Amino acid sequence: MRVRAVGTYLPPWGTRDGRVAGSDEDALTLAVECGRAALADRDADVQHVVLVTRDLPLLEGGNSAALLAGLGLPPTTAAAEQVGGAPAALDAVLTAAPGTLVIGADCPGAAGAGAAAALIADGEGVTLTPVARVQRSLPVRARARDGRVHDYDDQRLARERGMRAALDEAGIARKAVAAVGLAGRDAAALCEGDPPRVVTTGASAPLFALAALAEARAAGLLLAFEQATMTAADVVGGTTAVRRHEPDPSAPPTSRATTGPEIRISLAAYDRAFDEKLRLEAGRCPHCATFALPPRHRCLGCGSEGDAVLTELPRDATVYTTTTVHTPVPGLATPYTIVIVELGGTGVRLLAQVTDATPGGVSIGERGAMVLRRVAERSGIPDYGYSFSPGRSSNEQVAP
Amino acid sequence: MRRVALVGAGMTPFGEHFDLGIKDLLPMAVTEAVGSVDKGFERADIDAAWFGELTTTDGFPSGILVDSCGLLDVPVTRVENACATGNDALRNAVYGVASGMLDVALVVGADKVRESSARSTFWEWMGLTRDMAWDYPIGVVAPANFALHVNRYLHESGATREHQAMVAVKNHHHGVSNPKAQLRFEITVDDVLDAPMVVEPFGVYDCTPQSDGAAALLVVGEEVVDRYTDRPVWVRGVGLGLDRVMHQHKTDMTTFPPTVKAARQAYAMAGVGPADIDVAEVHDCFTGVELIDYEDLGFCDRFAGGALVESGATAVGGRLPVNPSGGLKSKGHPPGATGIAQCVELFEQLRGESTNQVDGARVALAHNIGGPTAVAAVTILGFDKD
Repeated sequence: MRVRAVGTYLPPWGTRDGRVAGSDEDALTLAVECGRAALADRDADVQHVVLVTRDLPLLEGGNSAALLAGLGLPPTTAAAEQVGGAPAALDAVLTAAPGTLVIGADCPGAAGAGAAAALIADGEGVTLTPVARVQRSLPVRARARDGRVHDYDDQRLARERGMRAALDEAGIARKAVAAVGLAGRDAAALCEGDPPRVVTTGASAPLFALAALAEARAAGLLLAFEQATMTAADVVGGTTAVRRHEPDPSAPPTSRATTGPEIRISLAAYDRAFDEKLRLEAGRCPHCATFALPPRHRCLGCGSEGDAVLTELPRDATVYTTTTVHTPVPGLATPYTIVIVELGGTGVRLLAQVTDATPGGVSIGERGAMVLRRVAERSGIPDYGYSFSPGRSSNEQVAP
Repeated sequence: MRRVALVGAGMTPFGEHFDLGIKDLLPMAVTEAVGSVDKGFERADIDAAWFGELTTTDGFPSGILVDSCGLLDVPVTRVENACATGNDALRNAVYGVASGMLDVALVVGADKVRESSARSTFWEWMGLTRDMAWDYPIGVVAPANFALHVNRYLHESGATREHQAMVAVKNHHHGVSNPKAQLRFEITVDDVLDAPMVVEPFGVYDCTPQSDGAAALLVVGEEVVDRYTDRPVWVRGVGLGLDRVMHQHKTDMTTFPPTVKAARQAYAMAGVGPADIDVAEVHDCFTGVELIDYEDLGFCDRFAGGALVESGATAVGGRLPVNPSGGLKSKGHPPGATGIAQCVELFEQLRGESTNQVDGARVALAHNIGGPTAVAAVTILGFDKD
């Protein structure tokens, strides 16, 4: 088992010590970002996707279809939604069969947002072998059934009965090359040399560490902690492609929330539009080659009916027109910017929100890329679609 | 085809009528229209009515019209065609009278926009105009709907926010003399440019206020005109144009094709062209929209709208006064009533009775564009029958 490729994603907001997700991001959109990075430029035969996170948007179901659509994988791909942190994500890599994409996504309400994905395959790449697994319960942080988080707030207890007790139980005394899921100082104390800097502490953390170890061609012990649970693995170097999208962080834009009548959702409309909206596919007329987004029964060009074939659209986009809404709008954070963009050379236009940018800064003619975002939340249901990320290339790597 | 004339017109003041419901505003407008008929008018003469109302207020619209106005024996059709509702209601009544099936029709338009909270109105309107899956979540509130057009228009035409401001200054100036107008005060170009931003490029003074109001017209066939007046206003032409609904399917957003189509129909029916228009009431829900209207209606060349307002030609006293009533900008905009109220103003203009009279006006044009900028209505009225 080898790690063929690792993709990483950090939101553009926050500080160098920790990122915060944009208001239109959640664990699923973060997972799609890093997953697409891991799969870029590869004819990977992905048989299985494992998403590890503690921030699943739809706990009652529906995440996997959105994840596969965002990743551009067939809806027949096996997908597992696993609740877990750093040890669970490292376990998922250690137990993965070739053809598995393991994604760790962290989207806490505060700093620490990020996601990373590892493509497991035969052939070239970093190898991991299990060293130890310790599973103990010390819930210094708990999320109640009503969603409220309770912190026990005792760092010394967490260190002594969590990290140290786990290491003692596993009998590990040697230094590691990377330790994640801990406060930075605790992690450094367990490592020799110059361990990689990882700005997440949940499920994505061991995968961020893998990306750094692969880039440095470093070998040694990788430790992943969560409370009193730990997984340890030995990493042996190899050629692993690492693709990062980690733009420099800036302070998140300030916005205003307005209460008012909730936007209703029609699940019938959601269901009809789902594939085209999340896979960015237009209907293409087999007779006159005219595209239509959204796809429609009657062709915009020749008027033929019922014959359109769904076709994936390019994601590079140019702004045709734009506006920024400052006036309060119930249920939306203002100000926000919307655009009509033209996609690639297709002549297809899409109405979209602007993401990854401070509202108001977009001009006509500007180029960027379409990225999956949680465009709205209505009746408690995340409504995913594509937003315009200005200045971004549809096939770009941004490393800090 | 039988000729059709207006013999009466009336309206309530436009404004925030928190103290008046739709059942109060409707009889007020109808009674003023009836009272404006030179030789008197009996309600029993009304053969049918058309009622334009965008959003239902206090229940079933047609029933509320007959019930509140003492018209229980009159058949009523409710018309809803976004912001083109008023002029479209008139268009349908004109067809009914012109066909010979009716001699006398009542046309009423009304809306109670301020029946909802100020912040929820735009949101409620989105539900009337947007695709649930593709548009609704994006947040294209009504001003943004037009701003996407106007920003592209400013980009291509070279017109500026100052040109937009000139529209606001002109229409506020016009509205000062109109006792029915909602915003009766002068503003300056700097006031407009310095006002808080609503939706770029529209500041507060680039936007129509939110209004309540009602307006009514009495429409009759030419054989019965003499019973009511010796000074009728003739309905010379009507037109209604539509377009693709979703913005992403509109090829050129610097123009409103529905306006072009509606104007083409109305000009052809009237046998006149843009050069024959002496006074116009056009849709200026947002200032930049009036600039595009000039071009779509043929009042100037493409991308010459900014220069036209800057020249002063569209102010009262200029070559082609536009919105002497104050327009939507100053008079107000209760959508169902807006087009009818435009015709109330033009009825008075063509009879020489307006409070902001355009000297010698003989041919007049009313225009609305609305919804997801996908419907427009144009009406051409004349002092002369032909």
